Amino acid sequence: MQKMIEVKHLTKYYKDFKAIDDLSFFVKEGEILGLLGPNGSGKSTTINCLLSLLHFKNGSIQILGREMKPESYDIKKQIGVVFQEVAVFEELNVYENIDYFCGLYIEDEETRKKYVEEAISLVGLERYRKFYPKQLSGGLLRRLNIACGIAHKPRLIFLDEPTVAVDPQSRNNILEGIEKLREKGATIVYTTHYMEEVEILCDRIIILDKGHIIAEGTATELKEHANIEEKITVEGLKLTKDQFENIRNLKNVDKVRFVENVLTITYKSGQNNISVLIEFLRNHNITYQSIFSERPTLNDVFLNLTGKELRD
Amino acid sequence: MFWHNFKYSVKTLLKNKILLFWVFAFPIVLGVFFHLAFQNIEKNEKLKIIDIGVVDDLQFQNRSIFKEALNTLSEKGENQMFSITYGDEEELHEQLEKKEITGYVSFGKDDVYLFVRKSGINETIFRYVIDEIASNEKIINHYISDGMSYVGNENVDFNMMIQNMMQTIESSQGNIENVSNENLSYTMIEYYTLIAMACLYGGIFAMVIMNSKLANMNATGKRTAISSLSKGKLIISSLLASYIVQLLGIVLLFLFTIICLKVDYGHHLPFVILLSFVGCLGGLSLGIFVSAMFKKNENTKTGILIAFTMLGCFLSGMMGITMKYTIDKYIPILNKINPASMITDGFYSLYYYGPNKRFFFNIISILLFTIVLTAVSIREIRRQKYDSI
Amino acid sequence: MTVFKTFWKVVNHYKGTIILYTVLLIVFGGMNMKSNNQMDFVDSKPDVFIVNKDVSNKITDNLISYMEKNSHIVDLQEKEEKIKDALFYRDVNYVIYIPENYGSLVLNGQNPKIEIESTGDYQASLAEMLLNRYLKIQNLEQMAYMEQNELINAINENLGHQASITSISSLDEVGLTNASNYFNFASYSILAVVILVIGLVLASFNELNIRKRTVTSPMPYQKYNFHLLLSSLLYAGCAWFLFCFLGICLLGKTVLSIRGIWYMLNALFFTVSALALALLISTLTKNKNAMNGIVNVVALGSAFLCGAFVPAEWLPNFVLKIAHILPAYWYINTNNCLKEIENLSFGTLKPILFNFFILILFTVGFILINNYLSRRKQRID
Repeated sequence: MQKMIEVKHLTKYYKDFKAIDDLSFFVKEGEILGLLGPNGSGKSTTINCLLSLLHFKNGSIQILGREMKPESYDIKKQIGVVFQEVAVFEELNVYENIDYFCGLYIEDEETRKKYVEEAISLVGLERYRKFYPKQLSGGLLRRLNIACGIAHKPRLIFLDEPTVAVDPQSRNNILEGIEKLREKGATIVYTTHYMEEVEILCDRIIILDKGHIIAEGTATELKEHANIEEKITVEGLKLTKDQFENIRNLKNVDKVRFVENVLTITYKSGQNNISVLIEFLRNHNITYQSIFSERPTLNDVFLNLTGKELRD
Repeated sequence: MFWHNFKYSVKTLLKNKILLFWVFAFPIVLGVFFHLAFQNIEKNEKLKIIDIGVVDDLQFQNRSIFKEALNTLSEKGENQMFSITYGDEEELHEQLEKKEITGYVSFGKDDVYLFVRKSGINETIFRYVIDEIASNEKIINHYISDGMSYVGNENVDFNMMIQNMMQTIESSQGNIENVSNENLSYTMIEYYTLIAMACLYGGIFAMVIMNSKLANMNATGKRTAISSLSKGKLIISSLLASYIVQLLGIVLLFLFTIICLKVDYGHHLPFVILLSFVGCLGGLSLGIFVSAMFKKNENTKTGILIAFTMLGCFLSGMMGITMKYTIDKYIPILNKINPASMITDGFYSLYYYGPNKRFFFNIISILLFTIVLTAVSIREIRRQKYDSI
Repeated sequence: MTVFKTFWKVVNHYKGTIILYTVLLIVFGGMNMKSNNQMDFVDSKPDVFIVNKDVSNKITDNLISYMEKNSHIVDLQEKEEKIKDALFYRDVNYVIYIPENYGSLVLNGQNPKIEIESTGDYQASLAEMLLNRYLKIQNLEQMAYMEQNELINAINENLGHQASITSISSLDEVGLTNASNYFNFASYSILAVVILVIGLVLASFNELNIRKRTVTSPMPYQKYNFHLLLSSLLYAGCAWFLFCFLGICLLGKTVLSIRGIWYMLNALFFTVSALALALLISTLTKNKNAMNGIVNVVALGSAFLCGAFVPAEWLPNFVLKIAHILPAYWYINTNNCLKEIENLSFGTLKPILFNFFILILFTVGFILINNYLSRRKQRID
């Protein structure tokens, strides 16, 4: 399978601040790669470097098997970008905006007309063709922003947090749109800090923190990699310090947190963890409201890897 | 709560650079332009010494009365009218073509010939003066020939006679008394319209601050609308803040025009202050009105306010003072409802007539304007539960 | 093509601005046009108003009819405030109050006092000259003639003599003054329409996020810029054509001539320099509000300081000196020269060619500064 993107030893400084530190990864054709990380972890910087918008100190970037340079127009032709910030003309209406940006890629008017219409229906803006950006709500504006970036049917698409501050309806619409793009064979690099989106959407995930890759793989792999098997949550209980210490010493327990009457325990492995815990609680006459066991989420993985919440 | 909101309102207004530019700096910049462009206009309209030529030939030498009169008129001093070049016709013609002289005069036996380049006011004055000398010459000659036939004595001293006659003519001036008003500097109107513009532009402050209190404008508006504060109190304290900021701008503009541009507001400073404070009130109500009545975004509202102000200033003479007069003369009603004109006319009547009926009529007009606009706006704001946000 | 087309769509968004400044040009450039096309000498007539408190009699009536003949009597209401207003706004330059019993006092050999109000300018001086001359002659003839009709005849006979006057210029002064005024005012419209609209349009294209989009597209950056430049050039050309065309409509045959071509050529050089300035300003700021402020100050400043609104000969010298740093000064200077030059030849056109040269220097200067400032390339950091 062809590698759409191959990044080797990328390092980027903003003055003295090291934003990306020796980053290497690749993206395979047809996959959706999720770039995940908290604010300031270097996601957008990585994308801007990939697109040759930023100078970088060291490393090489290859896209479609060739080195990416500012004047690599034949490569750029196959790329679509949707930036975090809405980038549209206030003076043009929905149709004209999409038509303009599509026109930067597609010369032929007939084809372009068709493409623009398809983009409009992909993001569900059919009713708003003649609307000006000022008249659109935040979610619709985001959809327009996406349509402008993908109307020319690129093979490789960069989506930089396209769902930030978007209402659930628009968000579902956007995610469905991305699914459709993948079905048509597009390769997608997707940055976000919404775990759920990545879990639903992405074939492979890279987790960034402070310019480093701290984990890489499919969602399942990551969870395994983080060595978490099970997470048990007990709600509505009171614990003494001794009891808390005792729980920590139970079999298989990896980490224990007790915050505001909620106890969270992660287990590295093992079975019957929940029955062991229930028995412990019963033996110590500890009452509780509910107890449940679940498979860990990526959020837990991230927490486990970095010791901090993803959305801070 | 009142002063808390007041403090923050002033703070937000003074932080808005674009607003400050348009309301504070722009009138000052415009004032500087006016000053640079207009400071010489009125000086230029005063009669200046006119350069003329006289063909100095035998014929001229025989016209002693002309010689004498032209000499007097070109004597240096307060009454100098001409600066004369004597020369032959060809030279003078060339000078005329080069625009070095307004015209030249050449003499036939009895006739006088004037040559000018074009029609114009200097040329007309030149012609009148020459005509006048010619008619004096006629009278004098008439008397001399009369005198000669009467006296029948060839020993009469012609020169004495001529001198005497000239003096008689000189002393028989018309009895004219100038009773004009001193304050006639019409370029002042430009500065008055400037003040009017600044007063009305100041309404933008009120508009912006109102927008931030109206739920259909922006998020801050929504937040304020659902807060527990009394809406009336809130709006009043906000408007007070915008009025204070507005006055600050007007005071700056006044100081600048008085100190740097030497604008003359007449001799009634307290009334000038009264008028500008009332004028600002007019601007304030305009801002409230635009904010309350137009369901548009802030840029559009600003556009409406600026367009209205500029139209008002145009009609009250900012782009040419005759405009105000023309409107006053032919469509007076238009300027009676134009706040910019009320303010301008107030300053004008104060400067030209002093604080008289007309001045107070203008003050009352502005107050009426303010009250009407505010009342309409209040009705609108009161019933505002929005159909759409 | 798509950049080009979109440029015009965005321009279309600002058509209000274009219309506004065009209307201003028509109103102000066209308003002050005088329709006098006479080649012979015509006396200038001051605007006079006469308040007659005397009863109708031949002496007074003769004075009034003399003033009526040699000045323009303004139509005013005989109210103090109206008269004062008219004086202030120069609707009338000179007001003559003829006192009661004036006629009979004159017949009694007296020289009764006449009150006047004057604006003290050229026109007023002219009116005063007329009045004074009449009174002087009246006083002189009074000595010789006591009888009313004789006196009047003598006065009129004396006033009737006029020296013959010849104007040597073959120029259509009025038409050319109109043309110069129109093109001078056009400097303001050109600056506003070219700089403001191009500035705003380019600000849209150069907005950081849109630029990011453009840079990531396969449209080569140079080509993209070239298209924008070409569109701007074409737009400026259209603006120039519009204003010239309006000029032809308003001024007629005065500008449909060799001289007219020079006026338009001048406007073209000026438009190009305005375009270069527009590009420079759009490099300096991408903020549309700031753009509005800058353009207003630049356009109004040029118009006031260089003589578009107030004739240049009325501006103080130091102001004109300052104005040398603005292209509009050279443009307006050319217009004013064109109004005066008797015969167009290489010799007489020299100062105009020099002005053209300066305008070209301005254009090149703006472009060089712009290039220096916009050297940042496709990267965004």
